[in-house]
Amino acid sequence: MTPRSVLLDRIVPMLYWLLLAAAVWILLRGHNAPGGGFIAGLVAVAASAALAIVLGERVARARLPLAPLPLAASGVLLALVSGLPALFSGHPYLMHFWGAPLEVKLSTVMLFDLGVFLAVWGALAGFVLALLAAWEEAA
Amino acid sequence: MSGTAGAATPTGPAYVGLLALPVAGFGLLVWGLLHHSLPWALTLEWVPSLGLDAAFRVDGLAAQMLALITGIGALVFVYAHGYLDHEPRRDRLLAILALFMLAMVGAVSADSVILLFLFWELTSLTSFLLVGWNHADPHARAGARQALLITMAGGLALLGGLILLAQMAGTWTLSGIVAAAPGLRADPRLPAALALVMLGAFTKSAQFPFHFWLPNAMSAPTPVSAYLHSATMVKLGIYLLARLDPAFNDLPFWEFSLVGVGTLTAVWAAALALRERDLKRILARTTVSALGILVLLVGLPSPSAGLAVAAFMFAHALYKAPLFMVAGNIDHATGTRSIDHLMGLRQVMPWTAAVAILAGISMAGLPMSFGFIAKDVITSAKAEAELLALVSHATVLVNATVVAVAGVAAVRVFWGRPEFPRARVREVPWSMRLPPLLIALLALEFEFLPALADPLLLAAAQAISPGLDAGVLSASYRFDNTLTALEITLGLGLLLFLFWDRLHALGHRIHWLDRYGPAAAYEHALHGLARLAAAHTRLLQHGRLSGYLRGTLAALLALACVMLWLEAPPLAWPAPPPEQAVAWSVALVLIAAGAVAALTLRDRLALLMASGLVGYGSAVLFLFAGAPDLAFTQFAVETVLVVVAATALRHFRGEAPRLEEPRLANALFALLAGAGVFLLLLPLAALPPDTALSDWFAAHSLEAAHGRNVVNVIIVDFRGLDTLGEIAVVAASLLAALPLLAGLRNRNHAA
Repeated sequence: MTPRSVLLDRIVPMLYWLLLAAAVWILLRGHNAPGGGFIAGLVAVAASAALAIVLGERVARARLPLAPLPLAASGVLLALVSGLPALFSGHPYLMHFWGAPLEVKLSTVMLFDLGVFLAVWGALAGFVLALLAAWEEAA
Repeated sequence: MSGTAGAATPTGPAYVGLLALPVAGFGLLVWGLLHHSLPWALTLEWVPSLGLDAAFRVDGLAAQMLALITGIGALVFVYAHGYLDHEPRRDRLLAILALFMLAMVGAVSADSVILLFLFWELTSLTSFLLVGWNHADPHARAGARQALLITMAGGLALLGGLILLAQMAGTWTLSGIVAAAPGLRADPRLPAALALVMLGAFTKSAQFPFHFWLPNAMSAPTPVSAYLHSATMVKLGIYLLARLDPAFNDLPFWEFSLVGVGTLTAVWAAALALRERDLKRILARTTVSALGILVLLVGLPSPSAGLAVAAFMFAHALYKAPLFMVAGNIDHATGTRSIDHLMGLRQVMPWTAAVAILAGISMAGLPMSFGFIAKDVITSAKAEAELLALVSHATVLVNATVVAVAGVAAVRVFWGRPEFPRARVREVPWSMRLPPLLIALLALEFEFLPALADPLLLAAAQAISPGLDAGVLSASYRFDNTLTALEITLGLGLLLFLFWDRLHALGHRIHWLDRYGPAAAYEHALHGLARLAAAHTRLLQHGRLSGYLRGTLAALLALACVMLWLEAPPLAWPAPPPEQAVAWSVALVLIAAGAVAALTLRDRLALLMASGLVGYGSAVLFLFAGAPDLAFTQFAVETVLVVVAATALRHFRGEAPRLEEPRLANALFALLAGAGVFLLLLPLAALPPDTALSDWFAAHSLEAAHGRNVVNVIIVDFRGLDTLGEIAVVAASLLAALPLLAGLRNRNHAA
């Protein structure tokens, strides 16, 4: 194990949540301003990678909402499902709907973008964490 | 094979449910035949934009096939219960058998050629699963793969042929193609289309030179052999040829091909039957021989040939399925199928012996059997068609062999001095005695009461030869021709039977057959394919990163040269808008600095940072050139990459090792590649940008998709399906990489 830095040990766990919050913000603003699921997913991967480098791959893996592969798969599934309402109402698949129940603008597009976010986060975090794990053991 | 040790597999509701399928199917068919006149047709809309319908049509021929599929299917399901009494996976086998049955039902009732192809391939696929059932046995695996490769390759040819025919006829239905056939005579594509269809039918029905897969498929459990590889699936090719026969039987090409290939197959397979010692393989060879006779009969232009096809197809299924079950019973009781070790089984297995005699009589075509009627009809058809003497003599020889094989299967193994201690061998359970007995008795009954089978046979025959007169059936039971032919065949067959062992020894000495036959050619092709793939992989996938890079750049360079050589396009120097000149300069300086640093630095971490600088420089460029989303992504990717790679580099101290590569040549190559890409981009800068798409997206983004970020709207909405595919690929790449990454960790553990 390489020597640990006290400063990083204290800062990075906070940075992790900050980066995830930023990712969610980027995800939600994406429809009207630069951002969206892809970029948000990459930022979340950066958060996971930072955590893994400082506190170890195991900790970062445990902080993911699901294991990497199920996380990526659930993202793809979510995006798949977001197109179904259109199919059931006789429209072409993946045609999106908007509505504002309870004064909040909601849409199936948000579901789709959330799916993109989860797929990118799960898949790339899976790669990064597995590589880091291999290197950690090699060290 | 089912062992005799261990507990019997319990009979659960799954078995009852699966057995109900063929029984219900058969009941439904009988009810339909009694209450509705043929043909039955059903057309459902499928892909209206292509003019493609899911069309089904059941005429006499299809009804006959359906009767075999469901009737023999039900009895095979009962038989399999006894045969696999100690097999824990029995219900799974029956489930695959049921799937196969559905595929067969679909294939013979489909009128749409696309549906026919789909069901056809599904039968090949389920056959693969069934032949490879005993997957611990390498012979079973090889046989399954061979059957799959040959029938699937033929299936591809069939698809091509059917599509060609459909395009020429302007309809996707078989009945439509047959109806339009007179107008297709002059079409130059017709021979190619028919050749492709024949290729599909010949592979499926194991015709020469594709005959060898059928004996090798005998590794399947016996219920499978009795059902798929004698009664139903291998008849599918004959079925399709018979279906198309009314349209093309006056074409010399059609007649010569079918008669030639059919005769060759029948003779060849009959000769090879003499080389076998395994009871199932002997039966399989005669099945191939019978399939050859059927192809020959389909090819005959005379109208009574249709009757002969229908009668022989029926008769063959009714005697061959029980004989396979007899072989299965013997195997089940004694544990061997080699005729060298089987004698005198009559005393311990009287029921099985009775079935064997009944079916054997029919197979030999002796009077008092349905096989006799079939033989009679065939003789009449051949007499009418004025066959070549050679073909005629050949078929007599084939029939003699069939008689001899019937003798081997029904007489030889059951008579003589028993070799087995009586206590060890016992008669099989009732579930294995009744099904073959029922089928054999049915065949016998049709002889005495032909009126039971006549309507179905006639309907089938009229589907093959539309001009066939209804009176021909009873009139064809003349028997005078047949009796003479029968005497010759029986005499020859008896000789073959008596000299079987000596002929076998003779046939066994012909070694060149194993070295140069079609089966050997198949093995050579298979090994050749593996060798080609290995050589090709060694050449291209050598694992040297610099080699990959050189190859990719060389291809790009070659592309650039070809493009510039074909057409010298106008070149233009890309100029930034004046207000962005500073931003572009900053970006270019960053990129150039990164590149120069990467060339001169030796420390790994510094090298990594330098390459990151190139990425950041491009991100700056994107940011100011109006692509903030792209810049955003580039920053994130570059950061994650550098950070992760830097973590890895912590484990490698010191300087990068000196590459053992020609540095000067590499540098020259890199310069050339850079210049080539630069040259490629210059004409692009000269083209006036086409803004039609971006204008449309900009105009519709907010109004139709409620988003102001056009890039994101395109990703999630306008081109949502593309994105769905992309994230599926991203997720799948992790799935594919996980084993490799796990291998990396294991290697670390080992080291």
